Amino acid sequence: MNESMLCTKTHEYILEQDDKYLVGITDYAIEQLGDIVFIELPDIDTEFSKNEAFATIESVKAASEIYMPISGKVLEINEEIVNNPELLNDENYENKWFIKIQSDANQIEFADLLDYSDYKEEIE
Amino acid sequence: MTKQTFLHDKHVELGARMVDFAGWEMPVQYTSIIEEHKAVRNSVGIFDVSHMGEIIIRGEDSLPFLNKIVPQNIADLPTFKAIYCQLTNKNAGIIDDLIIYKLKENEYLIIANASRIDEDLNWMVRNKLGFNVDIINESHNYSLLAVQGPKACELLNHIGITSLPPFFSIKRDELFNINIWISRTGYTGEDGVEILVKNEFSEYLWDKLLELGKDFNIKPIGLGARDTLRLEAALHLYGNDLDENTTPIEAALSWSIPKDKKEEYNGKLVIENQLKNGINKKLIGFKMLDKSIARHGYDIYYDNNKIGIVTSGGFSPSRGDNIGLAYIKNLDNLSVGSTIQIMIRDKLHEAEIIKRPFVTKRNKVNN
Repeated sequence: MNESMLCTKTHEYILEQDDKYLVGITDYAIEQLGDIVFIELPDIDTEFSKNEAFATIESVKAASEIYMPISGKVLEINEEIVNNPELLNDENYENKWFIKIQSDANQIEFADLLDYSDYKEEIE
Repeated sequence: MTKQTFLHDKHVELGARMVDFAGWEMPVQYTSIIEEHKAVRNSVGIFDVSHMGEIIIRGEDSLPFLNKIVPQNIADLPTFKAIYCQLTNKNAGIIDDLIIYKLKENEYLIIANASRIDEDLNWMVRNKLGFNVDIINESHNYSLLAVQGPKACELLNHIGITSLPPFFSIKRDELFNINIWISRTGYTGEDGVEILVKNEFSEYLWDKLLELGKDFNIKPIGLGARDTLRLEAALHLYGNDLDENTTPIEAALSWSIPKDKKEEYNGKLVIENQLKNGINKKLIGFKMLDKSIARHGYDIYYDNNKIGIVTSGGFSPSRGDNIGLAYIKNLDNLSVGSTIQIMIRDKLHEAEIIKRPFVTKRNKVNN
């Protein structure tokens, strides 16, 4: 399932789904953040450029910003993870996305994204 | 170059995540901050707080010297008792907050914050003129272990400390044939002790406590949970809630200031004036009214005016909500029950001023 997944060096991922993209953070990031107590997601229809902060995760320790792997417009937000951050421990990346976006990003925006195996190497 | 405590390798072995704190490489968490927090509230936890400073004041003028550098009345302190103090500058700003123990006539032990040891020593030396005292920094010779939680004392009884010192007292004792100073103090709001031991015995003591504490569900606790525990107990953190521009009166520490101290001390005029005429800013506790978290440095608003700043804030694992400490303008209409607003990432969020501490403290026991 991770075949179409692309990751950033700052531990976000995108997963293509019917011409749209799910955006979330990797298990490595979730583990590093520790106890997550609150997730703040953007409003639907907000547009973000690549590398712009679109969400904030509050762990017990600190607030961390989450950045857009590619530019795009927010179509949906995952209310379930807001109501229950425990869901981030789900193994399936299709269930723990933060936002679903529509994107017109060109190839240049994808150039620095890593496929999952390269990302795995990066964090090891 | 960060410093390491003598227990550094133990933390790494236990899988701790290490971070830099006040120039020390310290464990921030072993498993999870929330789990560790709950272990201390429900059973017992052990902390390595060897980064804390130990300063000995010795000599025939120890008492008048200490009385000059803190607002508290050290003359009232009996041998083996402890007192919470502030080291104040001429403007009554807080250079550090300290626990002072009287070990015997003309000899006192000061426990100081790791980040402030150098400033404390400089200030003490500057104030030493005319006093026959020695100021001895023993910080590099001693390790400090805190054992905290409702089962802490039961555990210590079980492993051979037959009579524990009462609340805010210290005694010389022996544990596994190791000489220790054991005091009934802590930074969690729970019952428990802090054990001062020569560095070379700290690893042995740490291992023994963890091994024999298993029956009591002991857990090693990192600085992350130390912070959430002290915040719930509304205990100040130097550098966050206290600094050189804040007086003990502003910091809601009036309870610790004697109103009848005859001796002069640094900052006395300011403190007396503030006690008489009031203060411009005051420390308050708050809880967020939504799920957002206010952190150190966030601005506080009331009626569209900026009235203060958050100094500590975070999730409270015991309460399940988000709490904090802040300084606000001392406006008469703002008190417990009032609603204020806090700017979090360009949006105002509502918070309510509530009573401190945020949880019931259970440390004042005398058995």
